[in-house]
Amino acid sequence: MGGHRFQRFIRCVALLAAALGAAFQTASAQDASVDESFFAKSLYPVLHAAQCVRCHGKSGVASETRLAFPRDGASPEQVTAFGLSLALLVDRKNPEQSLLLQKPTRRIKHTGGQRIKPDSDEERALVAWINYLAGLSDEQLQKNRERIAAALPRGERMPTVRRLTHSQYDHTVRDLLGDQIQPASSFPKEDFISGFKNQVEGQGISPLQAEAYGLAAERLARAAFRGGDQRGLVPGQPASPTDAQLAEKFVRQFGLKAFRRPLAENEVRLYRELFLREAGRTQDFYSGATIVVEAMLQSPHFLFRAERGAENAPYEVASRLSYFLWDTMPDAELFQAAERGELASREQVERAARRMLTEARATASLEEFLAQWMRFDRVLGATRDRRRFREFGTELAAAMAEETRRLFNHLVWDDQNFMEFFTADYTFVSSDLARLYGLPAPTEEFARVSYPPDSGRSGVLGHGSFLVLTSKPAETSPTARGLFIRNQFLGHEVPPPPPGVNTVLPAVTENAPLTNRQRLETHLNSEACANCHRLIDPIGLAFEQYNAIGVFQKKLQLQFGGGRGQGNRDRQPTMIELDLDTAGHIQGIENSAFSTPKELGKLLAESPACQKCIVKQLFRYALGREETPQDQPVLESLLVRFRDSGFRFRELIVGLVTSDSFLGAAPPAPSPPAPG
Amino acid sequence: MLTSSQELSRRGFLRGVGLSGAAICVGLPAFESMFNAGGTAYAAEAGVDPIETRFIFWFNGNGIIEKYWIPLEDGEDFALTPCLTPLARFRQDIHVLSGVDNPAARLPGPGNGHHNSMSGLVAGEMFSGRGAGGASIDQAIAQKIGNNSRFRSLQIGVCQESFGESIQRNMSWAGRDRPLPPEMIPHRLFDRLFGSKEQYWIERKKSILDAVSGEAKDLKKALGRGDQQRLEEYLNSIRSLERSVASLPPEYAQVVEQPPEGGDLKDWPRIAKLQTDLLVHALASRQTRVASYMLTKCQGLSRFPWLGYTYERHHEYTHGRVESPEGQRIMRDINRWHVEEFAYLLGKLKSIPEGSGTLLDHTCALFVHEHAEANSHKNAGLAMIAAGHAGQLKTGRHTRLTGTVGDLYLTLAEEVVGAKLDSFPTADKKLTEIV
Repeated sequence: MGGHRFQRFIRCVALLAAALGAAFQTASAQDASVDESFFAKSLYPVLHAAQCVRCHGKSGVASETRLAFPRDGASPEQVTAFGLSLALLVDRKNPEQSLLLQKPTRRIKHTGGQRIKPDSDEERALVAWINYLAGLSDEQLQKNRERIAAALPRGERMPTVRRLTHSQYDHTVRDLLGDQIQPASSFPKEDFISGFKNQVEGQGISPLQAEAYGLAAERLARAAFRGGDQRGLVPGQPASPTDAQLAEKFVRQFGLKAFRRPLAENEVRLYRELFLREAGRTQDFYSGATIVVEAMLQSPHFLFRAERGAENAPYEVASRLSYFLWDTMPDAELFQAAERGELASREQVERAARRMLTEARATASLEEFLAQWMRFDRVLGATRDRRRFREFGTELAAAMAEETRRLFNHLVWDDQNFMEFFTADYTFVSSDLARLYGLPAPTEEFARVSYPPDSGRSGVLGHGSFLVLTSKPAETSPTARGLFIRNQFLGHEVPPPPPGVNTVLPAVTENAPLTNRQRLETHLNSEACANCHRLIDPIGLAFEQYNAIGVFQKKLQLQFGGGRGQGNRDRQPTMIELDLDTAGHIQGIENSAFSTPKELGKLLAESPACQKCIVKQLFRYALGREETPQDQPVLESLLVRFRDSGFRFRELIVGLVTSDSFLGAAPPAPSPPAPG
Repeated sequence: MLTSSQELSRRGFLRGVGLSGAAICVGLPAFESMFNAGGTAYAAEAGVDPIETRFIFWFNGNGIIEKYWIPLEDGEDFALTPCLTPLARFRQDIHVLSGVDNPAARLPGPGNGHHNSMSGLVAGEMFSGRGAGGASIDQAIAQKIGNNSRFRSLQIGVCQESFGESIQRNMSWAGRDRPLPPEMIPHRLFDRLFGSKEQYWIERKKSILDAVSGEAKDLKKALGRGDQQRLEEYLNSIRSLERSVASLPPEYAQVVEQPPEGGDLKDWPRIAKLQTDLLVHALASRQTRVASYMLTKCQGLSRFPWLGYTYERHHEYTHGRVESPEGQRIMRDINRWHVEEFAYLLGKLKSIPEGSGTLLDHTCALFVHEHAEANSHKNAGLAMIAAGHAGQLKTGRHTRLTGTVGDLYLTLAEEVVGAKLDSFPTADKKLTEIV
């Protein structure tokens, strides 16, 4: 740091200290120098540095408490409004008793630990603001409430452009061209964002992706007209290579399906010219058709679903439904419904959705949701220490994913209580899996089998898929298991370890054999680690009797020696067995002690947080984005509908596709009264 | 129609690349001058254009075992450590660097140690939660020197196994959260670079891209701001496609060997060499001046059957029993393999004559890892290798630096590559020890 800059830094610190000091000296009364701007200027940065927002943000572990920070990039008005809203946590008669002071300094119990040290400059800033808020008159408080309401983010324009996901691309060209080659398998891979691969935020198009689209379009278009019009894409026989009438008819007809809406006249002109120029040059009608298909498959109107409303609105609803429920383009019936204006009311949308849900494509689409939610990619890509887990391989991993898929499909399509996803006392296993779990062999592969009454397994929590994807190659990870349950089933984000922390657990050696519970105690020795790990480790520790490939073992079995290492060659491996304590609990949920997956399943099934999380997960997948404050009423009413239906997933889907959030900012008008 | 003098130059070009498949023996004409606006190849006056500098940003996942990697001695008389032995014959072509700090990795924010280090390493900015917090150094350089090449920059990758997040799979970033994924498949990379296309194909392709970019422009106008950015990104990608739609003379494809489509696509040492060959040919034929090369992924999960290590994956080897003697040796061997592949690159660059020297004389290749000591996710004191004789880079030595990744990048970009960046995140001085 240069000398000059350093002096400036010192000056700033001194000024800040003076300001804070002044605030503290007059702690008993409102300080005239503290005004409304004090929060944004002096306290907000302090709270930010204390990282309160990590738990008290939108999806943080403490998102359900009364303290909710604005999102990143909030406007100055929103920050000030947030500061004023903290009055809720201030005790006006006894400011020093305010929760806003007691919690972060951990004078009373605070799950997040001590974020602000007593008697520090940070605390003095907090006290100054609490005193300011405590000193406000009733009239001022009322005025502030109005301002706070006004500053709530609203009318935020939601993105209206979604790119076809890779699986949607493959399904769409299958339905559009009858082509099964699945070109997207060679596209650059999609990233997981907010838990899914279809989120708008991750849908950029890099030059490599654009090039891949170009190559795929070329290949698909050429195949479509190899040897003429084998697939019947052209509506008629050309009278000549440059049959303009038929060319235009093809452009309109194919364009409607490719762009999923009727073409505008200038678009018809553009593609008609492209067609005829190429057909004229080559004296081949079908090479004209080929270039149109190749160009349309690279058009933003094909690759993106841009929603602009107006006369295309019914077609946009049709696409929204088909890409969510079928993962592909609308079928003829949906196009007709759009053309006839029959997707205008909620009742009409519901009717269309119920019809769509009876088709096999809906099963495939919902399986894609499940595969991403349950991170099947991690199951299918899992590798295990081959010396310890010889029975594990790609086939077994695939069977584990299939087991979870069967349970999901049974609950969704047989209209069962979906919360049995966590409590089912039965499962669907292959004979390999039955052997692994110690169950009787199924009557046929993946037939339903009941767990014995003394089994600790229930629902997905006892499935190999969950147990494997949250383990490391050689051992279990209670932290990964607890984290997955927090993230995927309770909808809580837990902050990652702070930078620069050594996240490595103590090694297990023959001389010092340890259980994971003992090793994880290191997390609790440090306040920085403990703040978050006490939210996750105690959940995962209850699974310790299920090893890294999902086998039940009453005791922990540690194997030493016998490996490749020096001097090990002649030695027999030694085994050490340790007793396992599987007591667990969910911090933040009352009476949540449990010691088996089965007991946790019951807790989750009954937990409003878990029920709401399922709604939230489906919402994100369907909308391709995270929920916003404006979506809250929709989420609330979906949860009510889900619960009232006895947790029928089909009802949740129908509720979602007829919600304001799904149908767009302007909800469709109620249907007109029936004639007569 | 070619004139006779053009035909002459063209023959010169062909002789230059050596139809026999033997080593290239004559300097190549600048690539862009071989193309007219329509993208067709035409002859140029060979040998008159000044030779350009090139920049290669070479990445290896996870970290190292410092005691096996960082030389004990400073200056010219350093002994090669076990991991650096593959570079013995390039001793005078490299500058081993240690002590490079990555301060952005330690800013409080989202992400684990690998996410934070990766973003700070490539961009000097904090991890955004989704991707790098800004443009990566190769892209900052490409913005300055890549605009006259067929490809402003190339992204090439080898090992694929990773946890699958964007920040782990990509080292090149056009800007905050805008990844540029690497091409992982050799025969596809070959097609992009050396695929031979007919004039008719080129014109057809251009007419399609014209139509599509017109549509994208119209659509963009009709959208809200956030959506406009996405369309703009697509438009940019189409523009770079338009520029690269061209074809080398078909003879070129006969000289550069086409990689087989089959074979073991997980035989990483084989893939690494195929990708390196193509990279070197792309630089030699002046199709690009800037490239990134991702050998293993950030927090990578590759297995190493050719080293005999298959029961765990790369990242697991960096923790767990890494502190045992066996674990240390495994990591040493993995790290040495990284260096071996880098040595292969240097050998290839050095085998191609250019001007009065070789391609290596006009290249700056920077070898990096996301961490120093792997087990502790150490992001201060990174160890790197700067190689090549472009600009004023001092070579044949080991230097312990006191500076940041930004300081290093700024120095290399401005003093070595000749790209006037003026600034880069975390940079506030130039490292006079290395130039």
